[in-house]
Amino acid sequence: MAVSAGRGMRDPLPVPLPDAGAPARPFPRRRAAWRRNRAYLAGLTPTAFLLALFFVGPAVWGVYTSFTNRALTGIDARNFRWVGLENYRYLLDDPDLPTVLFNSLVFVVGSAMLGQFVLGLAMALLLDHAEHRGYRLTPLVYAAVLLAWVNPTVVAGFQWVAMFDFYYGSMNRALGWVNLGPVNWLGEAPMLSVIVVNIWRGTAFAMLIFLGALRTIPTQIYEAARVDGAGAGRRFWDHTLPNLRHIAVLVLLSVTMSTFGTFVLIQTLTNGGPGLQTETIALYAYNTAFSSYEIGYGSTIAVLMLAINFVFAAAYLRVSRPKV
Amino acid sequence: MAATWIRRRGATGGMRVAPSSAVLPGDAAAAPRIEGARVAGDQARVARRRRGGGPVEWALVHLAFAAALLFFLAPFAWLVTAAFSARATAYIRWPSDPTLANFRYVFEEFAFGTALRNSIVISTATMVLTTLTVALAGYSLSRLEFRQKTWFSYGVLLLQTMPLSATMVPIYGLARELGLRNSYLGLILVHTAIELPFLTWLMKGFFDAVPRYLEEAAWIDGRSKLRTWWEILLPVARPGLGVAAGLSFLSAWAEVLMVIILVDRSEMATVPLTFYRAARGEGSYMEVRYELVAAMGVLYVLPVLALFFATRKLMVRGLMGTTRGI
Repeated sequence: MAVSAGRGMRDPLPVPLPDAGAPARPFPRRRAAWRRNRAYLAGLTPTAFLLALFFVGPAVWGVYTSFTNRALTGIDARNFRWVGLENYRYLLDDPDLPTVLFNSLVFVVGSAMLGQFVLGLAMALLLDHAEHRGYRLTPLVYAAVLLAWVNPTVVAGFQWVAMFDFYYGSMNRALGWVNLGPVNWLGEAPMLSVIVVNIWRGTAFAMLIFLGALRTIPTQIYEAARVDGAGAGRRFWDHTLPNLRHIAVLVLLSVTMSTFGTFVLIQTLTNGGPGLQTETIALYAYNTAFSSYEIGYGSTIAVLMLAINFVFAAAYLRVSRPKV
Repeated sequence: MAATWIRRRGATGGMRVAPSSAVLPGDAAAAPRIEGARVAGDQARVARRRRGGGPVEWALVHLAFAAALLFFLAPFAWLVTAAFSARATAYIRWPSDPTLANFRYVFEEFAFGTALRNSIVISTATMVLTTLTVALAGYSLSRLEFRQKTWFSYGVLLLQTMPLSATMVPIYGLARELGLRNSYLGLILVHTAIELPFLTWLMKGFFDAVPRYLEEAAWIDGRSKLRTWWEILLPVARPGLGVAAGLSFLSAWAEVLMVIILVDRSEMATVPLTFYRAARGEGSYMEVRYELVAAMGVLYVLPVLALFFATRKLMVRGLMGTTRGI
């Protein structure tokens, strides 16, 4: 059979086709695949439509708008024009951008990587151990952590604004009992405050995953270690931690991504202030678009955000390799 | 995080910690131990339970418990006590003259009735639409067989990690162009879309665990694929549908970011938006009255808690897959 005849070359050695002796297919392979799959593809269309409308569409729209000088209102709202890379050039020179990126970094490292991750692991180990011992309070503590998690964000923000109140807040009253001066939480330690609240809100997730992971460690390992005379600390370092390593990487990436996009919580607590002290990149994009009415430049910041997030998402996919 | 695809490469040789398959009976591995402890016949657990430990250990564990309870419950203690006080303060105080009047004022002063109706309509419609959509998509994605499937599935997963706060500016612009602002349709579609990537993966996991001879038998009987899906597969995947319905309702009930940018007419406000505005003292000449907002908060949180804790085993498994913060 002349496999490459169409390319104007001489035929190389004849290639025996595997199905040479088989009866001819009623239709080409592609159409067979289409037949087999068309019902399933139809089943995916509503999802594909909605995802295109609210995820892919906005992302494309955002990238396009970042090349324009579009405004929210006024003459530049309708008659915006293509400005090329001007927004991106401005982004590089933006005096606020280093501050905003640094704030995002502090917020993510403080509340996700150190806070939720470490506290979540600690709570998982504590509850796991307490459960072994059969302590009665264990389910209550578990429920308390979950409660903060299912609580809607706006309510969490409101609760903690009251907790942090300078004159009457519970935090300062508690400090007063031990003769420590009142702290102006949201005024003088705003980043610490939002980090504390985000840890409060998000610890449950890491805890749940670690609890699930601890459960899959075979008990025989511990029994064997105990027979060998390993103490509790030894067993923890040699067996518990290595078994959690893979899960830990995934939890770390996951809480990083969910924390990176945090918006409502910070907005209700400090609204980025005082000054720019808690302005993360998400708030900066919002304020540029809706307070300064610069949708073009706001989109540029959002594109930067998506790019940063994409790096973490790619790392997550690489580590987890989901079964398709 | 979608624990659906978390595979451990540890001592168990790649045992999956999967909420999806875990909902099928007999696989308690994915549930947190506290939930799983009640699973009947969980012999390994019982064997591992060792009561005892010294009094020092008891004291240390309970000290940690006390600190955790204080940290995690104090804001709720304040919310509830403030809601029942005639004049609330910012610190936790047992109400000196407990009253229910705040709950009535919430309806009178914040048009809470309208907001409640809007929220119920939007959340319920979102729940129905999401459940149907992801049940269809999850099944299709599970049975689809072609080479580009991996990329399509990974693409869906990537969308799941996209922060909403990054796309809210374009979504605002798009909704304005399409006339989807201040409308039920717009809010329902947005809230449906938000949870789609994650729940599609979740449902795919459920359907992956359903053996194919079920549907093949139905096809031989002469049912169409759509009818087979509706009559045979949906009943089998009921636990998954429950998770999808519960999570999509909770998500739509709690979501505020999209409502903030899509709604500016007061008769379209939802409960989270009304709460958000009240907590910021918008539209009022006085300072924020803690007891009123707290009462609204209690009314807002109550359905969430009731639904979540009534179905928490299912929900916890499902929620483990969430990557996106709000």
